[in-house]
Amino acid sequence: MSEKDRGRGEPMVVASAGELMFPATRRGFIRTLMAGGSVMLLPSVFTACSDDDDDNPLGPGNLPDPVTGVSFDLRSDVGIFRLVHLNEQLEAAFYTAVVGSGAFGGFSTDERELFIDLRNTEIIHREFVRTALGSQAVPDIRGSIDLNVLNQVLSSRTSILNLSRAFENLGVAALNGAGKYLQDARNLLLAGKFASVEARHAAALRDVAPPPGINANTAFAGDDIIDGTGRDVKVEAGVALQLVASTGLLRANTLANPAITAAPTAAQGVATADFFPANP
Amino acid sequence: MDNQQPILDGIDPEITERLVSRRDAIRRGASMSSRLAAGLAMGSVPVALAALARDTFAQTPADILDVLRFAFILENLENEFYRAVLGTSAVAAQNNAFAPVRALIPDAAKQTFQQIQKHEQQHVDFLKAVIPQFGGTPVTITAADFDFTGGNGAGNGPFARATTELDFLLLATQAFEDTGVRAYKGQAGRLLINGNNNADIALESALRIHSVEARHAAKIRRIRRQRNPGDATLRFSGYVRGGARAAGGAGNIANPPAAVLAALDLIYGGATPESNTQHVVFNGTSAVTIDAATLTGLDVIDASERQAAATQAFDEPLTKEEVIAIVRDFIRDDPARGLP
Repeated sequence: MSEKDRGRGEPMVVASAGELMFPATRRGFIRTLMAGGSVMLLPSVFTACSDDDDDNPLGPGNLPDPVTGVSFDLRSDVGIFRLVHLNEQLEAAFYTAVVGSGAFGGFSTDERELFIDLRNTEIIHREFVRTALGSQAVPDIRGSIDLNVLNQVLSSRTSILNLSRAFENLGVAALNGAGKYLQDARNLLLAGKFASVEARHAAALRDVAPPPGINANTAFAGDDIIDGTGRDVKVEAGVALQLVASTGLLRANTLANPAITAAPTAAQGVATADFFPANP
Repeated sequence: MDNQQPILDGIDPEITERLVSRRDAIRRGASMSSRLAAGLAMGSVPVALAALARDTFAQTPADILDVLRFAFILENLENEFYRAVLGTSAVAAQNNAFAPVRALIPDAAKQTFQQIQKHEQQHVDFLKAVIPQFGGTPVTITAADFDFTGGNGAGNGPFARATTELDFLLLATQAFEDTGVRAYKGQAGRLLINGNNNADIALESALRIHSVEARHAAKIRRIRRQRNPGDATLRFSGYVRGGARAAGGAGNIANPPAAVLAALDLIYGGATPESNTQHVVFNGTSAVTIDAATLTGLDVIDASERQAAATQAFDEPLTKEEVIAIVRDFIRDDPARGLP
């Protein structure tokens, strides 16, 4: 529908969730609401899958509708693992797309093994955390991935490697920063089981594609990512989410603003200074 | 011990002015550790310690100190191992022992070893500086305390070939690093005291060292893979695939000693072996065990690969006792100093 068609007092009809993604519709949506008008969401909004699966790079089946307003309450272990779930979803979706991309054919045999391993691991992590969280799980965010940005990244080997490296080092940093807030030792152990695997990924990707100026023989744990006391990267949750957002992979309104509705309490722990380079 | 017993902190004059209950003391750490955190973030042990001297209370949870002491022994073991390999040990006999294999290390791998050794030294220095702040005294350890052949001082243990064969050396190195990863993972829970910021910093530091050890282990595994391109156990990704000796990937070692294979069984096995796919999560109400190999939603992964992929996707812990069983023959016995 166009904005012109809609007179005041006349209900705005939204036929699909996808329609809400068009800025004009969204503006109209908000304007209509603010004017006291009514908005009618057709049943198709709730049931539709917006894309066909044939050319879906993000995994089998139809892409779900985009999700919006994802937020995190970090006052519980569940909240912290929801953050982990978001990261694992993004990583799994991305590596699935990488393995299916045209550029993948140009990777070496070793690199193909690496990326299939990465994809498999992140899918297992994603499904594990989803199962663990049950009804608290973050909704399937594949529909919220900006396919223009994704396809741009997939168009070159270099951009694939750069984004992968950023993801994995961010994964390490986020888990290293979140551990102190967990309240149950079993969950801390579980986070540790993820963290060292992410560190193995990160080291492999820095080997394959060291950041500019970093010695290839020491890049796996280079001086840019290990501090002077021999400790790895670490970020607090807010920065981790900013870094996720800065990839541009998620549509702008996927995360709520602010995305963190409640920070960890002092009884859980207190934030420490972050250590994360601009180009990990 | 009575939790309500008042304590006096003798370090910070501000604190001596007040009586605080021990329970309050533990909580109070929260308000004090920003200086410590800032010091650590600057990568400066002295700055961090200046803060710790004010932050630390006379009584700190014994678990934390025990973990730090344990880690200190392990980091010394690793550090002195690399120094011996690189010929920079303070003990000439250790340097001499590794001279044959040293000559075989390509320059690229040597740079890798140097980088790893630098981190182990940093971990040693970090722990050495932190232990006194938790009320402990770091044990004095020298290179002479170690027997890198795994012979408990005899110098002719099952890993002796690491001093003359490069592939053997790399296997031993990978095994040391993976033991370190598993040791830290197993100890993390003992550092978990919510709201005690000194404990938080110990925990966060341990986690950050833990992931560095994982980077090391992955790199060594990848070097081994490049020397043995046909061995799919040695994942290019650096993952640990499967459990026990099979996960070690000793296929390229001719006639490996039975004792080495037995050691690999311990290093990649244990009560929760690396092949484990069942993990416990506490959801706030109950503890649930989930099998990572049989989750729904794994369709993208080839069915024949799911079990192995599930073992790769999770690294597993070792208990302190399991770690000691692994490392004991690399350390000359000295119970008086707490050396196993």
